[in-house]
Amino acid sequence: MYLYLPVALTSINILIPVGLGLAVGLLSGLFGVGGGFLMTPLLIMFGIPSTVAAATDSNQIVAASTSGTYAHWKVGNVDFKMGIYLLVGGFLGGLVGVQAIKLLHAMGNADFVIKMTYVIMLGVVGVYMFIESLQSMKKKKTESAAAPAEQKESAVGRFLASLPLQTRFEKSGVTHSALVPIVLGAFVGVLAAIMGVGGGFLMVPVMVYMLRMPMHVVVGTSLFQILFTCIEVTFLQAYTNHSVDFLLAVLLLVGSTVGAQVGAVFGRKLKGEQLKILLASIVLIVTVKIVFELTLTPSLLISQAGGH
Amino acid sequence: MKTLFNVQSLKFAVAALMAAFVLLAGFAGSAHAMLTAKANHDHITIDFFYHGSSVSIKGIADAGTELAIKVTSPESHQTMKKKGKVGGVLWMNVGTLSFEQTPNFYEVFSTKNIDEMLPSSEQEKYLLGYPALAKHVEINGADGESDRMTWFKEFVKFKEDQHLYLSSAGKITTTALPDGHQEYFILTDWPYQAAPGEYTVTVYAVKDHKVIEQAETKVKVEQVGMVKTLATMASNNAAFYGFLSIGIALGAGFGVGLIFRKGGGAH
Repeated sequence: MYLYLPVALTSINILIPVGLGLAVGLLSGLFGVGGGFLMTPLLIMFGIPSTVAAATDSNQIVAASTSGTYAHWKVGNVDFKMGIYLLVGGFLGGLVGVQAIKLLHAMGNADFVIKMTYVIMLGVVGVYMFIESLQSMKKKKTESAAAPAEQKESAVGRFLASLPLQTRFEKSGVTHSALVPIVLGAFVGVLAAIMGVGGGFLMVPVMVYMLRMPMHVVVGTSLFQILFTCIEVTFLQAYTNHSVDFLLAVLLLVGSTVGAQVGAVFGRKLKGEQLKILLASIVLIVTVKIVFELTLTPSLLISQAGGH
Repeated sequence: MKTLFNVQSLKFAVAALMAAFVLLAGFAGSAHAMLTAKANHDHITIDFFYHGSSVSIKGIADAGTELAIKVTSPESHQTMKKKGKVGGVLWMNVGTLSFEQTPNFYEVFSTKNIDEMLPSSEQEKYLLGYPALAKHVEINGADGESDRMTWFKEFVKFKEDQHLYLSSAGKITTTALPDGHQEYFILTDWPYQAAPGEYTVTVYAVKDHKVIEQAETKVKVEQVGMVKTLATMASNNAAFYGFLSIGIALGAGFGVGLIFRKGGGAH
């Protein structure tokens, strides 16, 4: 059955957005990412104008991340304190990022810089996560489970411990200076704003490797953080660009809210390393896809410019 | 003085006679001209279940004329991104092109190939066919004539991909009528991608490589009901629309969460 979308000004078979929502919602509940890096290009592929695709996806993520955060919160896997610190940083980073884009556009070849940053970040994050989780899976097999993991006291570790405002994050079982999540949140916020993505795939590794949070808490906390980011983005997109298609968002969220629940349940059955290696594989697949897009001759050399 | 008056009245009489003659000739011409055009489905309404429509155009034309039918939206300004190779290997957006006096929707149907029917001067005069449109459209952001043509072709390809541009020969059927005229008919698919608005259908009768008559009709595409309400709200009441979209998303997220908890608790 087809439905006409009032803002996208196109008609779509309802099974497409519901199915896409289900698949991306599943990834969201499983890995704590918004899934915009998958959803937006898929929507464009199915004939949704690019500006509407990105804006509507953020509206849909509000629903999926609410559903996912709720599912993870029920089992105590959301570190609200850490989430709020990251959000504060992310908000500040977003402001800087928007200015950085203006600067890049003023310098010319902004698209090249943005695209390259995106591919390199995806590639580095994907490869690092993949290798690291593979190694820790091997290590777990050889070591006995009872042996406590050795805490490496690196120079970076000592520096972080010397920072003021040391705070205990109970849920994550870590102690950091309050400045650390704020600065890291800001860093992800800057990159996310420049690349025009939600930043979940960056935030997850940052929480795992830099904040040393347990993977299951990372997923729940990331979703909590994404929820607020996407509320803000949805409102701005609806208010300034009029590009949120409410009906498309409803069709997507029918699938994604259910998908997020299923993902959260499924995620509990997997080990942290298994989750990490799966996410790393997806990030690498997306990287390869973008590399192909960049190198193969496109069928259309012209596309609709964003905005009005 | 009197003589002068007489000369003036004579001049006036001659002028009046000439005017009457011209008028009569005009009437005779229009009585002969009888091209008509009618779209059967001239008011297309878009509701939630709209998935495109079909429009048939028919009318009467003089026997022995070839026909061309043009369907267009009003001309506007359109900004497009152009892709190009960076560093010889990577395809990415390399700038913008702005197309001026360009219709968003452009379809031309003809009984024969338009190049066989009309010389390029006539095509350009009536904006019939892609080559004529190419001359008419202004493109900012292209370097030189050959670059301009390359990007116009790419633009047409993009529009054809979206079912918004079409050039097709041979789809118009004609039937000879006993009174020496012919009836023409075409049934076209109206794409759902065509935005709401008013579209102009112009029918051209062609004889001896010249357009001899034109007739015009309109097709109006309009959103109705909830589709219209939502589209209007999105643009006129954007803040409320934004809050509503977020509210529904939050509600749905929590709602599904609660359902799953209940479902999970039962087991």
